[in-house]
Amino acid sequence: MILSQGSLFFVSLAACSTVVAASKDGSARPRGVGPEFAKFYKDVDTFTCISHPAIQIPVSAVNDDYCDCPDGSDEPGTSACAHLSRHSPRSVADRPGNSDLDLTLSLPGFYCKNKGHKPAYVPFQRVNDGICDYDLCCDGSDEWARVGGKKCEDKCKEIGKAWRKNEETKQKSMTTALKKKKELLVDAGRQQKEVEENIQRLEVEIHGQEIKLKNLEADLEDIETQERSKMVKGKKGGKVHVLAQLAKDRVEELRTALSEVRKERDETRSRVKELEEILSKFKVEYNPNFNDEGVKRAVRGWEEYAARGTSDGLENAARDRDLDEIVKPDDDQSGVNWEHWESEEDGCEVDAVYQLAAYLPPSLLNFIEDKVLAIRGFLEKNGVLPPKDEDSASESKAVTEARDAVNAARKSIDDMKNQIKDHKEDLDTDYGVGSIFRALKDVCIQKDAGEYTYEHCFFDQTKQIPKKGGPTSRMGSFERIGSVTIDELNESGEIVPEQRISLEYAKGQTCWNGPARSTTVVLQCGEENEILKVAEDEKCIYSMLVNTPAACPGGEADIPSSGPKDEL
Amino acid sequence: MAGSRPLSTRWTLLFSLVTLLGCLVIPGVTVKHENFKKCSQSGFCKRNRAYADDAAAKGSAWSSPYELDSVSIQFKDGQLQGTILKSISAEEKVKLPLVVSFLESGVARVIVDEEKRLTGEIEPRHNSQARKERYNEAEKWVLVGGLELSKSATLDSESEIGITRVLYGPENGYQAIIRHSPFGIEFQRDGQTHVQLNNKGYLNMEHWRPKVDAAEGDREQNSGSQEDESTWWEETFGGNTDSKPRGPESVGLDITFTGYSHVFGIPEHADSLSLRETRGGSGNHEEPYRMYNSDVFEYELNSPMTLYGAIPLMQAHRPGSTVGVFWLNAAETWVDIVKSTSSPNPLSLGVESKTDTQSHWFSESGQIDLFVFLGPTPRDISKTYGELTGYTQLPQHFAIAYHQCRWNYVTDEDVKDVDRNFDKYQIPYDVIWLDIEYLDDRKYFTWDPLTFPNPIAMEEQLSDSERKLVVIIDPHIKNQDKYTISEELKSKNLATRNKDGEIYEGWCWPGSSHWIDCFNPESLKWWAGLFKYDKFKGTLSNVFIWNDMNEPSVFNGPETTMPKDNLHYGNWEHRDIHNLNGITFVNATYGAMLERRKGELRRPFVLTRSYYAGAQRMAAMWTGDNQATWEHLAMSLPMVLNNGISGFPFAGADVGGFFHNPSKDLLTRWYQTGIWYPFFRAHAHIDTRRREPYLIGEPHRSIIAQAIRLRYQLLPAWYTAFHEASVNGTPIVRPQFYVHPSDEAGFAIDDQLYLGSTGILTKPVVSEGATTVDIYLADEEKYYDYFDYTVYQGAGKRHEVSAPLEKVPVLMQGGHVIPRKDRPRRSSGLMKWDPYTLVVVLDKNGEADGTLYVDDGETFDYERGAYIHRRFHFHGSTLSSEDIGAKGPKTVDYLKSMASVRVERVVVIDPPKEWQEKATVTVIEDGAKTASTAAIEYHAQPDGKAAYAVVKNPNIGIGKTWRIEF
Repeated sequence: MILSQGSLFFVSLAACSTVVAASKDGSARPRGVGPEFAKFYKDVDTFTCISHPAIQIPVSAVNDDYCDCPDGSDEPGTSACAHLSRHSPRSVADRPGNSDLDLTLSLPGFYCKNKGHKPAYVPFQRVNDGICDYDLCCDGSDEWARVGGKKCEDKCKEIGKAWRKNEETKQKSMTTALKKKKELLVDAGRQQKEVEENIQRLEVEIHGQEIKLKNLEADLEDIETQERSKMVKGKKGGKVHVLAQLAKDRVEELRTALSEVRKERDETRSRVKELEEILSKFKVEYNPNFNDEGVKRAVRGWEEYAARGTSDGLENAARDRDLDEIVKPDDDQSGVNWEHWESEEDGCEVDAVYQLAAYLPPSLLNFIEDKVLAIRGFLEKNGVLPPKDEDSASESKAVTEARDAVNAARKSIDDMKNQIKDHKEDLDTDYGVGSIFRALKDVCIQKDAGEYTYEHCFFDQTKQIPKKGGPTSRMGSFERIGSVTIDELNESGEIVPEQRISLEYAKGQTCWNGPARSTTVVLQCGEENEILKVAEDEKCIYSMLVNTPAACPGGEADIPSSGPKDEL
Repeated sequence: MAGSRPLSTRWTLLFSLVTLLGCLVIPGVTVKHENFKKCSQSGFCKRNRAYADDAAAKGSAWSSPYELDSVSIQFKDGQLQGTILKSISAEEKVKLPLVVSFLESGVARVIVDEEKRLTGEIEPRHNSQARKERYNEAEKWVLVGGLELSKSATLDSESEIGITRVLYGPENGYQAIIRHSPFGIEFQRDGQTHVQLNNKGYLNMEHWRPKVDAAEGDREQNSGSQEDESTWWEETFGGNTDSKPRGPESVGLDITFTGYSHVFGIPEHADSLSLRETRGGSGNHEEPYRMYNSDVFEYELNSPMTLYGAIPLMQAHRPGSTVGVFWLNAAETWVDIVKSTSSPNPLSLGVESKTDTQSHWFSESGQIDLFVFLGPTPRDISKTYGELTGYTQLPQHFAIAYHQCRWNYVTDEDVKDVDRNFDKYQIPYDVIWLDIEYLDDRKYFTWDPLTFPNPIAMEEQLSDSERKLVVIIDPHIKNQDKYTISEELKSKNLATRNKDGEIYEGWCWPGSSHWIDCFNPESLKWWAGLFKYDKFKGTLSNVFIWNDMNEPSVFNGPETTMPKDNLHYGNWEHRDIHNLNGITFVNATYGAMLERRKGELRRPFVLTRSYYAGAQRMAAMWTGDNQATWEHLAMSLPMVLNNGISGFPFAGADVGGFFHNPSKDLLTRWYQTGIWYPFFRAHAHIDTRRREPYLIGEPHRSIIAQAIRLRYQLLPAWYTAFHEASVNGTPIVRPQFYVHPSDEAGFAIDDQLYLGSTGILTKPVVSEGATTVDIYLADEEKYYDYFDYTVYQGAGKRHEVSAPLEKVPVLMQGGHVIPRKDRPRRSSGLMKWDPYTLVVVLDKNGEADGTLYVDDGETFDYERGAYIHRRFHFHGSTLSSEDIGAKGPKTVDYLKSMASVRVERVVVIDPPKEWQEKATVTVIEDGAKTASTAAIEYHAQPDGKAAYAVVKNPNIGIGKTWRIEF
């Protein structure tokens, strides 16, 4: 066809419209009509709009590149009715005489026969737009009018071949995937059994431990009674001696505490220093043009803080030398000469006891008392140190050992009870149909995307690991199995919602200026456990598309029902 | 102990600091006023306002010290020259050369300079290398024509003493009355005064003076001089000190629009179209309108504060007359506006009160270079202003379609995904954009190797459906060794310099940066080289450019821009050229885009944030970083309209709002509004949720898709409007006063608009929850609802039009033929071969008129005749298509290539009842041997809605001459 002359073109267009395509069985259908709709195009004189049988037009108006039917059924082979969609602005002239008419297409699209491949519908809006839509229409028939001189060759042979090969691989892969799924189901059943067995075992053990504990408690009581009588008698005589011994122990204890506290102080100091370095770097590097109020407030706060002096000014070498002196063991040169006290006669005992403090170097006494109380209190308050129990009175080795044994036994029972609790919780956790995901628990997969490597550990957590260096971000810890609706395209290019299993991970690291990170892992059937895509749907809210055989349909029936939940 | 306590307090503080960092609140949404100067913080603004206050206070006792030396006056070839003498003391007078040019176009140009500076007889301080002259090269960047001097302008010999009269303009109907003492000019048209210069006596030219470091004692003696010198020699703002090597040098002038109560123009401000008074009072501003191109973070609305761009064109309007002034000065400029109403004489019946609008303009440095336009219509201003500064470049067709942007599409896969999703949901778009995150380490002309490993494949996918990519390229170049661009910039000495002549270093996105100085012709050459395909790796021909941050934005600079004492090519101070800076960068990019490959000449597309008069020749603009609020949505309309009447109509606002997350309704309404922006782009800040229109869910998704498809359906009308702008300077979307210049009630209306000359009138919904809008109709024509042809009629009043969420309120004025393309496609490029629908909206007399312009939408072939330009006219019972184009060497080939593109449908709205009987119409196409017929169907409608008739498939070529007889 020569298209140089406009009018000629229209003539030929009209000719085209009546040209019918022959199909295998010999019956004829207008261009773009799929076999399932052939029956509507049989009449040789009139055409009846498919969804609106009241509207009839002459057959010459079928495929005349002008939209007559409100459902577009008169233009199966052109783009003339492509505007009939809820996505188009609608004016009354689009639905003459019936302005309330809902405009939807009755045909799925332009039918490409794709001989040598499989037939498909291409959306009407792609017909004669000058682009060869080979992914849907490998025979190029969607560009039959050759607008702008565009010619789309028939590529069905090669595309079909490639597709078939691909299908074959896919089929194989699906078979493998299903096989893997079955293995997973078996695994999951076994693991579940293990957990149940563990619970039984632990229950037996606890019983044994409880008997043991009772015996130990009885032992402890005996020993304590014995010890008490010993104490009353006394060993070496005088109260001063006893007190001196106690004081010595106490000082020793305080001394140890002092070095511990110093160590903690030094650690804390270095942490403050680290934080200060972070903040001063932050002050230099932040982007003032961002005018982020929060950032600016932080910078201002830091400046005020820094103006009052930083941790650099806190180190006091002189005091540290004092402390060094204090922590040295006592002897006759420094600290307290305990020997003197230990050999002291009883006499002014009571006074002496109360004066004991006076014999301690005042710096030691004050410092230790103050430091221990203030700093420890502060650190505890801020959660740096766990609160410490009240100092227990000194007691004999035997008692201590007995008590330790009792405590150990109790702890062991508690531990086992906790284990049982964990196991039971685990059994109560939803691991999906046939508990299949139990088999994937703690399986980790990774994917490189952009500047990060993403990691997904099933039922544990998701992570973002920067390639350029820097800390890894937790993108969420496992919360639950959920489901999401994904818009999929069906054969005729319509959006159809599809349900998918999802794994929800939440409460990850909090984002700069945003929420705590969370991830929705959407599962789809695939041969391997594999992250396909990672997207940040909105600030710090991620989604991962993950392939796993566990999400493949079917397979559950073949596995002998372990019925774990019924047994419990 | 004492020693340990401070430690713990610090701990507490540090902990609270950490806690504070952990729970950062959402940033505030108000502009940081402290970052930008108020008039009182800008020395020359304060001085000029004080000067005006002083003059006003003295009233009739005030005498402007400027006098035109009568002896010096010479008039030759349409140009008057002379010397103004400024008396600074009894014996001392400063010479100010004056040139008044009367142009062939009817425009008058007034230039006042200063002799001492012009001849270099001054001594800048601090050994500054800065130029001594007042900046006189603005026209080099701004003006492209229209400067032919009038041959007919003549001196009126009958002038009285002390007055020089010049007759000029069409048929010498204009008159400039130049008063010698005090110097002033009155411009008259047809015997009536419209514009007056210096009639308030605010003319102020701060002459050169050396700094006198007066001893303490002297100050007492000098108390006679009351001038406040505190801002003459040095100014400090926000920790930055301006060394001001040439001392005080501002220029100021009062311009009165006699008998005008509305003034428009001087973008860019987030304010109403009709400008407000600026000297306080209820509903007025306290501050003058400021023009000092700046990156204003979270700008506020209803404010005279400066924004990213500036066009110092102001027009005054009253029923039946429009006049204007163009203040060609690129330095920081402020404009005060005061309206004064004279009470009518109660004894003289019928005389109404008269309002004058007085504007007071002042700039920090440079010449006075003023153009005076006498109209008399808004179109005349558009036309003559366009002759001077150039018309809108006819854009590539894709550029007027829908643009999808976000800071940022994070990977090349992400871009491809978004592209696929638009197709999946069958929503058309033409262009996807990349903000700064595509770069490797914020270095322009690079790609992040991790996130964009394969830009070419990404661009190829886009190209598969005729789509384009726009990437951002800014003027700050990362200061980094081994970054070739940075090294070349330095080694070739093409960067802007600081006051000491060293390469200026400041902070922007990449951290430490240098700025290309596009005033340097060598910079343009170098820049052009960088865009060549083999140099800017990873770009194909479907990649275009976005120039942002070209105010220039400097994060650590005064008012987020460069120090004023920085030096540019030719040793001009940044102070002198600041407002031009943005367009010089765009100019460089525009030039570069023309030279990407030899033999490949296509229209460039560049988006700019900063602009000045003339930018329309090279770029599109957007209103910068707006916010996702209903108020910002509403403000986008006056802002876009104002740009349109100010000669730079290719304008738009970020659809959805840049900062924060819009609600679903807001986003939907914003799309319904955005389709009426000449530049239609959705954009979002990096911290916002994804909001591509397919993500929103039903019913909003369909509603947004409908809006976008409505834009695409009307693209033929839009392109025609762009063409009109490219030859006549007319706005693409037009405010009420522009279309109905005699209807005073509509002058201040800035929330409804007309699309080009199509008669399409829309008033988008910009308030939450509204389900109706009141559309104001100025004329007695019938207006028809765009979708159901409901009739609205009645001049001078508002008509309620229903506007539920799914509806865009659009009317069609009777008397127009509207060209459309109704078939949805993936992108506008794929609509090229689609047939047209012509909507004929008959007027009261049963007539209709319309035009259509079509070309290849890509190349410059239209300059050689490769286009279709038709006029459609319905008269009697005939619709005809007439060629209004001019033939060129490429016409025939182009028409041949377009031969298959036809009219598929003609819809006639409100046809005569008799057509009910008609079944066919006669179609006569030029060159066809016989006439043919086409089917017509008449459809009646219920009361209140117009009937319509549809002609099916008339089989006529769009490029043909034809007629349809009904």
